[in-house]
Amino acid sequence: MNIVLARIDDRLIHGQVATVWSKATNCQRIIVCDDEVANDKIRATLLKQVAPAGMKSHVVTLDKAIRVYNNPKYANDRCLLLFTNPSSVLYLVEHGVDIKSVNIGGMSFHEGKKQVTSAVSVDAKDIDAFKKLNEKGIELEIRKVDSDKKVMMMDVLNKL
Amino acid sequence: MIHKVGTQYAIYTGVFINQVIPKGGNHMFGIIVGTHGRFAEELVKSCEMICGEQKNVRAVTLVPGEGPDDVVKKYEAAIAELDCEGGVLFLNDLFGGSPYNAACRLVMTNEKYGIVTGVNLPMLIEMASTQLMGGDADIKELMEKAVAAGKNGTQTFHSSQIQEDEEDDL
Repeated sequence: MNIVLARIDDRLIHGQVATVWSKATNCQRIIVCDDEVANDKIRATLLKQVAPAGMKSHVVTLDKAIRVYNNPKYANDRCLLLFTNPSSVLYLVEHGVDIKSVNIGGMSFHEGKKQVTSAVSVDAKDIDAFKKLNEKGIELEIRKVDSDKKVMMMDVLNKL
Repeated sequence: MIHKVGTQYAIYTGVFINQVIPKGGNHMFGIIVGTHGRFAEELVKSCEMICGEQKNVRAVTLVPGEGPDDVVKKYEAAIAELDCEGGVLFLNDLFGGSPYNAACRLVMTNEKYGIVTGVNLPMLIEMASTQLMGGDADIKELMEKAVAAGKNGTQTFHSSQIQEDEEDDL
């Protein structure tokens, strides 16, 4: 699998992803990697309906994502991976998925989270996962769309 | 009123220029969204929510009490501000409406200008991303592309359309 973009965006497939990132990365598949979403039949069904023209969208559990990554059948496919949180990314990385950079597009605010940029809010578990990803030398950059300037997640977290 | 996002441009300019200037030829086209009422301004803002700041796009509005002459003046002011070396694409709301009629006056005398009506968000997004990719603009090609994007943006969804094609699963 050729991972053209790994993005954390809890809106998953929406305007910025469907129109901007899918084109900027020229991907063939958009794969939502999330246990909760994969087990939510309605959400999963709807996400499969909104693939941009010429692309397929999939919703898989994290373990399935790892199996797909290792499946030689998809070795040359250009895939955009979507996650709702950094812990899911860490899980994949710890199971051998080679992700060199993570784009953080949107993490919505909930009770108990701290807002760190206009589009990104994190809790203690998120921070812990980002730190571990950073220790592995993975770039963590915040951008809504590809023409935005990259803001480094660790710089933002270090200011907390 | 001419829609300007104004001072914020300065912050983005450095980044944007790198993105906008393509390899080789660079005859950028300008996009002017011209509508009845404030629709144009809000449409550009909606587009920016998805695609980020738009440097070479202007909104021109016809507000109650104004006529085509006022709109022509606003179009001319917008053209003066924009990089229009490759031409101007007018995206209007209504075929035959005043914003459209005013655009016609300018388009008649310049073959690098063109109009597409029935503007919607998918159409504007498509044109904004085309602009960002740079390269020499061909107004007729742009017009065709805009029409296609506007049409493809109109889709339907009803529960009866859900199909479980398990074969497509990974």
